[in-house]
Amino acid sequence: MEKWECLVCGYIYDPAEGDSEGGIPPGTPFEELPDDWVCPECGAAKEMFEKLEE
Amino acid sequence: MKFAIIGNGVAGINAARTLARSKPKATIDIYAEEPYPYYPRPRLLHLLAGEIQQEELYLYPKEWYEKRGIAVHLASKVMRIDPQRQQLALADGRQATYERLLLAMGSSPIRPPIKGLDRAEAFTLRSLDDALALSERARETQRAAVIGGGLLGLEAARALRELGLQVTVVELLPRLLPKQLDEEGSPILEKWIGALGIEVLLGSAVQEISRKGSAHHLTLKDGGSLEADLLLICAGATPNVQVAEEAGIEVQRGIVVDEYMRTSLPNIYAAGDVAQFEGRVYGIIPVALEQSRVASLNMSGQESVRYQGTLPATTLKVTRVDLTSIGVIEPRGEGYQELRKADEKKGVYKKLVLKEGRVVGAILLGDKKSAAPVSRLIMSEIEVSAYLDRLLDEDFDLKTLL
Repeated sequence: MEKWECLVCGYIYDPAEGDSEGGIPPGTPFEELPDDWVCPECGAAKEMFEKLEE
Repeated sequence: MKFAIIGNGVAGINAARTLARSKPKATIDIYAEEPYPYYPRPRLLHLLAGEIQQEELYLYPKEWYEKRGIAVHLASKVMRIDPQRQQLALADGRQATYERLLLAMGSSPIRPPIKGLDRAEAFTLRSLDDALALSERARETQRAAVIGGGLLGLEAARALRELGLQVTVVELLPRLLPKQLDEEGSPILEKWIGALGIEVLLGSAVQEISRKGSAHHLTLKDGGSLEADLLLICAGATPNVQVAEEAGIEVQRGIVVDEYMRTSLPNIYAAGDVAQFEGRVYGIIPVALEQSRVASLNMSGQESVRYQGTLPATTLKVTRVDLTSIGVIEPRGEGYQELRKADEKKGVYKKLVLKEGRVVGAILLGDKKSAAPVSRLIMSEIEVSAYLDRLLDEDFDLKTLL
């Protein structure tokens, strides 16, 4: 699954890890995060994320 | 339409992308004082700790700007704004014009009035150049003193510690994180910080800084003293208002803006660390994001959007220490209720501030899992009066309230 990077603070969302703080279980793809999910580091909205090119 | 943005930080970049989206044919110029492309300032701490390289800081490749028709002028400090002619004078003598201007020049570190500080080689941490200089020096030294026990001071102390330095944080007030933590929570955080091998001196004012051989000698007001090879000042920041002030724009502590993010002069807007809204200069990323979004939508003229304020939320980014502070943490005035729970052994401190049966603020230390549900609880303004005795219970699932 693809990782996504927050263009505001550089936080990387890794689907394998999920986001325990935001109540997102491991294995959740970025596309399936709720619309009101925000970057756990800086609070930026989902639209501030871009797909990481591996 | 021709837009100009002064400042290439979070507010500037977010405004540029919002403008590019709502006005795809517009000209957008960003004027940046620094010679580097956009980078997120929080990442400077990872650079300092040696966890990432300089090249990894840059998030937007050249194509990102080109695709959106955004021109970034690096190392192009704006020296003067001429609001009548709608012109900018750059440091190298060039002139530029604008139809709508956004002021997003951020803030600069404060150097407190300590005797001898002006002669001492003291570092600050705001720009990439600051971080590079600091990191170079940190690799040659053993003992660091950090003046200021706020978020940046502690995060920088952690990074320096990571490099193997002996680190002492000197804080003027009798507690850590005066803006994010209260008196009861501070001792619990002190334990966490102590466990990282960082020494903390609270209620310690530095009276004078002098040289002792190649080291700095700090004389403290209480009679104590401290020696350090490296001195880092993390004593807050002040908005970069000078150019705005000289242009005749209303400035108090920051550039005064209304709910549309307009300054006192026509076609000039401000957002982020430099802006002052309803008497308040926030200086945090979520605010810069929201203000710059509002400003750019209004600048584009397609929508009329009001800034409603931002719920201030901060997270201390120190490895192994989880601390989130949201909203009102130390209420002043009538009608507030506080719920607390502390477990010194586990290093947990939780506090909720309520008003009229709703949660309006929280401190969550050593409790990572509550941060998200509590912040949703605050934003959704859900009535919780019926659960007061259980809200802070470990086995109470806050999500059932949402």
